[in-house]
Amino acid sequence: MNELLCVTGLKRTFGARAAVEGIDMSIKEGRCVALLGPNGAGKTTTIRMLTGLLPPTSGTIKFRGEGMEDDFRRHIGYLPQAPVYYGWMSGRELLVHAGRLCGLSAAAAEARAAEMLERVGLSDAARRRVGGYSGGMKQRLGIAQALVHRPRLVIMDEPVSALDPIGRREVLALMRELKEETTVLFSTHVLHDAESVCDDVIIMADGRVAAAGAVEELRSRYRQPIIELRVEEDARSVAWADEMADGRRKLPHVDSAEHRDGSLRFAVDDLDAARIALMQELVREGVKAARLEAGFSTLEDLFLKVVEGRGNLARTRS
Amino acid sequence: MAIWLVLVRKEVVEALRSMKAVWLPLVFILLGAMQPITSYYMPEILKHAGNMPEGSIIQIPVPSAGEVLAQTLSQYGTLGLLIVALAFMGMISSEINSGTASFTLVKPVGRTSFFLSKWAAALLLVWLSFAAGFGASWYYTVLLIGAPDAGAVVQGFLLYGLWLSFVVTLTLLFSSLLRSPAGAAFASLGTAAVLAVASSLFPHAWQPGLLAGIAAEAVQAAANPKATAVVMITAAATALAAVLACLSMKRKALP
Repeated sequence: MNELLCVTGLKRTFGARAAVEGIDMSIKEGRCVALLGPNGAGKTTTIRMLTGLLPPTSGTIKFRGEGMEDDFRRHIGYLPQAPVYYGWMSGRELLVHAGRLCGLSAAAAEARAAEMLERVGLSDAARRRVGGYSGGMKQRLGIAQALVHRPRLVIMDEPVSALDPIGRREVLALMRELKEETTVLFSTHVLHDAESVCDDVIIMADGRVAAAGAVEELRSRYRQPIIELRVEEDARSVAWADEMADGRRKLPHVDSAEHRDGSLRFAVDDLDAARIALMQELVREGVKAARLEAGFSTLEDLFLKVVEGRGNLARTRS
Repeated sequence: MAIWLVLVRKEVVEALRSMKAVWLPLVFILLGAMQPITSYYMPEILKHAGNMPEGSIIQIPVPSAGEVLAQTLSQYGTLGLLIVALAFMGMISSEINSGTASFTLVKPVGRTSFFLSKWAAALLLVWLSFAAGFGASWYYTVLLIGAPDAGAVVQGFLLYGLWLSFVVTLTLLFSSLLRSPAGAAFASLGTAAVLAVASSLFPHAWQPGLLAGIAAEAVQAAANPKATAVVMITAAATALAAVLACLSMKRKALP
């Protein structure tokens, strides 16, 4: 697969604060890529630089070998986080205007606008002023204006974060359709959205790329066997659990233990051996187990790990 | 160029829909028509003002046609400039603040053409409004007072139009530099006021502020030897302001 977008050493500082501290990433043609990270990780700043709205402090962005000076914006469609349009235009006028700005002829822009309105389900509202559109309609109009010139890369900044569950489902469905025909990069802080539509994930934290790769690859690469144990609330069991979590008490094959969501969570190196050792310990110490579950860490664990204690994960490139 | 025309078209449609293209000419026409009418009827107006002692004789010489038109220009120099600055103070900064500038500028649109389209639309609107207003003033002057020298009027019109263009360009420059629209209006009006005051304090320093006075002299058919030089300087200053605005747009980080 061809590399569509290649970013090297991209950096942006606002005064003394670095919002993006030198990131490298690449996006391959035809993939749907999620830029994942907590609020303030630098996702929007990165996207603003990719779309040419914000000049980078340093670093390069190449789009199929073309640099910023070659104006590859004609290949990019962009849906901002909070889209704002000229409220005095009607939906149709706005799409025609967007198409013409991208170099379409008047007739082509008209035809394309009608097509896009149909596709995002705004045909009935096409003659109404954009100022009177609801949030969900604005978002759909935003997708239409981003696609009006058939871009090779569609960039969406938090496309579903501000929507209600129904709007969210509609937009996610549109995105699934979209990724069949073009390359999509979207940012989100909701892991579930990312997992449900994308092929690749780039996890950002504190202005850096913390982990990147295909979803399946990341899942298997960072997959770690874990055991979750919930104990009863009696004094003995609670004291034992606290000792385990503090590290005062150790068990073979158990790397670490921590409290999470009312359970004790063990990261282990050998699931079978650790399970036996743990059960023997429970019997020996008279700890009342309420529930014991063995399994593997999920992408969410990886996300949390990256976000909370970043820096200890090796970067992978897709 | 094609894209620039699309942008200009959008600005013009926006001016029509927001009624700016209606009220700006109306204000200019009102200001322009008032001047000859009040000059002509001033004795009547004073007579009806009421608190004059019985039998007082009011004798105000009716000003010449050229003088009336010069007074019209001085109306435009105060209220006219204020209206122009208020009309265009947010043309760039409001779009940047609201995010509609980002909508346009993520498309393959140069930031220079973005500015130039706004500049062209603003100049078009101001020239049309000024022409309508000054035309109205001329019409009523001919009707009530007498015909001024047409060549002199056209010359004064062009000279004053250049001064207005300079102020519009300043407003757009400050609108691209400053975040607040009110700040842009204040800065451009302040600059224009300083230049105008400077022109009466230092009449020998050649700067755009002299142009308003030169235009007022021109409509009265009094040629000023400095006119050509001041026109060149004003045109250069206008171009410089436009270039600076383009540069400031280029370096701008958009939301």
